[in-house]
Formats: sequence, C-alpha cells, structure tokens
Amino acid sequence: MNWDTKTMTERKDKSDELFPAGAEGAGLDSFFAAARAEAPQPDGGFLARIEAQALAEQPVARGGAPAVARPRPTGVLRQLREALGGWAGMAGLATACAAGIWIGVSPPDGLTVLWGGDAAALGTIGVDPLSSFDLALMEG
Amino acid sequence: MRDLAGIARSDGWDMPFEAMSAVADEDLLAAYAAGDATAARTLTQRLTPRVFGHAMRMLGGDRAEAEDVAQEALLRLWRAAPGWRMGEAKVTTWLYRVTANLCIDRIRRRRSGPDLDSVPEPADETPSAAMGMQQQARAEALQEALDQLPDRQRQAVILRHIEGLANPEIAEIMDIGPRAVESLVARGKKALETALIGRRDELGYEDDD
Repeated sequence: MNWDTKTMTERKDKSDELFPAGAEGAGLDSFFAAARAEAPQPDGGFLARIEAQALAEQPVARGGAPAVARPRPTGVLRQLREALGGWAGMAGLATACAAGIWIGVSPPDGLTVLWGGDAAALGTIGVDPLSSFDLALMEG
Repeated sequence: MRDLAGIARSDGWDMPFEAMSAVADEDLLAAYAAGDATAARTLTQRLTPRVFGHAMRMLGGDRAEAEDVAQEALLRLWRAAPGWRMGEAKVTTWLYRVTANLCIDRIRRRRSGPDLDSVPEPADETPSAAMGMQQQARAEALQEALDQLPDRQRQAVILRHIEGLANPEIAEIMDIGPRAVESLVARGKKALETALIGRRDELGYEDDD
C-alpha cells in the first residue's frame, strides 16, 4: 500500500504554527511528549492479579496437569449424524429405510408387473400388509 | 519457541531482560498456550502497562475502570491464545482494538446511564521538581482536552501521537482506511490545539528557559 506520509508531515508542520516552534520548541508535540513521559503505570498489586489470572487461564498447568479447556468430545453417533447432514439427513434416511422395507414386505401390485414372471409374483407371498410387526416397525 | 521454554526453565524468572525482549509477542503467546509459565509472566509484564495505559487515556484517567478494562482485555487474550493464528494480526494490534472497544462501550454506558461517580479521580501525583510539575501539568491538560474529543478522534490521536503507532496499524486497529485515520487524527489535533492554546501561560510556556 502507498501511504501518503508527505501529507501527514505537512499537516504536522501546520499544527505547529499555532504553537510556534520558536517558542520553547512547543507545539502539540510537547504535550504529547509530556503525556508519554507521564505514562500511567499499573501498580504492583494489579500486575500480580493479572499474572495470577494469566496462570489460571493457561491451557496446561505447570505440573503438566490436564488442560483447563478441551474441545467437546465427539462421539461416533454425533459424527455419523453430522456426516449425514444433521437431523434432517437422519430423517430422510429413516424414511427411505421404512419405504424400502414396506415395498419389500408388501409390494404394490404395479411392481409385480415390472418384475414379471410367476416366480417373482410377490403378491403370492401372503404377508399381511399391516401386520403388527409392520406397525411396530413403522412407528418405532 | 522451544528454546525459549528451555531457557526460561533453566534460568527461572530472573533471566536477563534482553533474552526475553528478543522474543516476539506472538512467540511468547504460543509458548503461553503450550503451558510455559515464564511466558505468562513475561507477557503480563510486557503487555499490562500498554493495555492499562491505553485504557487510562481512553477513559480519562479513571484508574479503577482502566484496571477493569485491562483485566478483561488480557483475559480475552489468554483465552484466545490456544487458537491464535500465527502471522495474522500482531498481538498488540489485537489488544489495542479490544481495549479501545471495551473503553468505548463503557463510555457509552456511562453517558446513557446514571452518572454515579461523575468526575474520575486524578492520577496519582508525585511531583518532584518544577520541571516535573510542568510536564505533569501539560500531560494533564492534554488529557483533559483529549477527554473532550469524540471517542474515535481520541482513539486515533492517542494511538498516533502517544502510543506512536504508524497509520497502517491504526487503520487495522480501528477497522477503517488509512485516509480515515489521517482525517480523524487531523481533526482531533485541531480540536486539541483550540482547547490548549488558551492555556499556554498557565502551562508554563512563558517560564521555559
């Protein structure tokens, strides 16, 4: 980047005109210099407090004790859920599973036509489409 | 960084100042995050005066409030240490920003809420000689004039002329462009001149040798 330092210097010179440099080398600079020389210092008690806090907040204590703050543990189920896209992904997956089981156990008649042949005439399997097993599966 | 930890452990806290001062803040912060207690102490000694001083100036010399702000800003630094990204922002740049934001929040709250302790106690005064008193008077007059500035102007002037930072760093701290920094500093200085010009006699410009 190209900082325009020249302009800054010019402005600084202008500011000194109000407190001419001839008069005891004044200008705002003497105020700023005084402020730097009189910098407020923290007292010892305060420094000690800050140091104690720094040590208390340190991730690993001096004796190699376990860290104060650790990332939240992530279980296998949590990871799986996140990999599938959160709860929405899980719900979609569950719906697809249920639909698959339904079609497998009690296929709509139309599907038999698609598969063709008597061997695969699924309508002959004779499973009650709404057996208690199915209901439990669907609701559970 | 590992060298630092080794040196620190073998020499203890009394290690030569030059040895510690050669280590960058960022490396010390990494050592801190790795559990080096010496790094914690060195960072405390090195950063607390800067953070506290900046808070004092932003808050108009209120020591108790400046201590609160400094403690909060440093607490945030300790907590940010484990996730600190090396090479992204300077530690001091980050701290100046956090400190100033905390100060401005407090100033705004102070203005909007009931004013419990309207006039902050002046800073401790230990004048030793006439020269010292004059310097102190000037520093106090400047602080009084700074207190009258809008927050952002005050922040820019303090960072530029008291903390001695360069414009690009101030721009980063204040999250504005360098031109805007220049404008804030120029306006702030103009207002300071207006406020201070009437006090020249009082501040000993006639008596200087």
